[in-house]
Amino acid sequence: MADKAILYDATKCTACRGCQVACKQWNENDEVIPVIENGVLAKNWGSYENPPDLSPTTWLKMRFTEVEAGGKVRWLFTRQACMHCTDAGCVRVCPTGSLYHHELGFVAYDKDTCSGCGYCVEACPFNVPRLEHNVLTGIAKMDKCTLCTTPGLDRIAEGWEPACVKTCPTGALKYGDHTELVTEGNKQVQALRANGHSNAYLYGDKELGRLHVMYVLDDSPAVYGLPVAPRISAATIAWQDVIQPLGWALGGLTIIGLGINYLVAREAKLTRELPGKKEE
Amino acid sequence: MEQEVERYRKPTRILHWVHAGAFVILFLTGLVLFIPQLGFLAEDSWTRVFHRIASVIFIVAPLIYIPLNWKATLRGIKNAFSWGGADIGWLKAAPRYYFLADEKGMPPQEHMNTGQKMWWSMVIVFGLIFVITGLIMWAFKTVAPAALLQWMVLIHDVAFIATGCMLFVHIYLSVAHPLMRPLRTGAWNSMARGKVSVEYAKSHHSKWYDEVSKSVEEKS
Repeated sequence: MADKAILYDATKCTACRGCQVACKQWNENDEVIPVIENGVLAKNWGSYENPPDLSPTTWLKMRFTEVEAGGKVRWLFTRQACMHCTDAGCVRVCPTGSLYHHELGFVAYDKDTCSGCGYCVEACPFNVPRLEHNVLTGIAKMDKCTLCTTPGLDRIAEGWEPACVKTCPTGALKYGDHTELVTEGNKQVQALRANGHSNAYLYGDKELGRLHVMYVLDDSPAVYGLPVAPRISAATIAWQDVIQPLGWALGGLTIIGLGINYLVAREAKLTRELPGKKEE
Repeated sequence: MEQEVERYRKPTRILHWVHAGAFVILFLTGLVLFIPQLGFLAEDSWTRVFHRIASVIFIVAPLIYIPLNWKATLRGIKNAFSWGGADIGWLKAAPRYYFLADEKGMPPQEHMNTGQKMWWSMVIVFGLIFVITGLIMWAFKTVAPAALLQWMVLIHDVAFIATGCMLFVHIYLSVAHPLMRPLRTGAWNSMARGKVSVEYAKSHHSKWYDEVSKSVEEKS
């Protein structure tokens, strides 16, 4: 099936945060008043952002970046949530298969089977998954945006747009065919460049095998505070592509080797012992 | 009755079995994250709860043993890391012994033979690695830099693979290898009851047996 995606146009966004509210409302994520007991620090760090960070119950948050250039202050917005990578670090490391690729390309998530290991939190190049965990016992659950494919709350299966897109009043968020949105995003970037935004960029087309959430930016990703050329970490690759397969091979060979040894050594022992003295 | 000689004192045997029990729980609750097909067993974190309880036993047991058995501890650590020519000889002769039951060419061994030393030194080194990487993951999950936590998981995994494979070998050689049966004649006895027959001590650990019998003579 052809992949679907979200296109976010930063130049059309007014940061009304309607998408944040729609996300919470549709996905039944009550706001947690950020206090220290919940593991979320209610820190005022001088930003207009609210809540201060993503959390297990905040899957989408508008990011505000203030940039000074040429004596002017610019206030830049981006939509901070799961980017639904094609080459997804979280899917690579998830040991329970709770994180997997939806048939439409998104990174879907089955919370019921999550073991709470938090490997995805560490592997995500965009620092998106959030872990609710008990430090003493280790009982934990991750949560993140599922692009409205959460079982029981699956808008996509109904053929509807994600809640954030549905509610967006300015048309900054669009949902549709991945390839069509790439074309549309590139067209918008060309228009921005023609208008003097020479660094305008379609973020997500080339990153991590193409993201299923793409941004139209009127400046470079670095200016927006986004990871430039995000990559799967070296540790993820060394661990998942080298150590794990090596471990399965070594473990298997050990068991097979011991089995062969048993058969050979039993035979050797029996022939060495005097005839008639066979044991077992 | 057959003459016997003490091989492992009671505190050492208790430490062995407590630590072994904790390690097996740690191994199995770690295995569910190692083999994708077993991942469903880790759902809802309950294996992590057992992993942590077992890890406390794994850490505390030696911490109790060490101050109470200081001399034995030092001797044990020294043994683990004293390697010499006899070890090369053992490694050369081992395949013929373990596959073909051919004892010729086996150089006389100390209290621990080369294979046992290999396992025992791995237990010390990887045990420390397990504890350090594990405690970092326990205490600083989501707090420490993601890259640090990822490398801790990787190192923990390497230690798991190395000790996991050797655990199979260890259990196999203790209870299942044809030469170790019947159990009362072999290595099993040394950790189960703490004693082995003089005959076994002479044939498998002759250097150690000479030392022990000499010191007994001196005392008497």
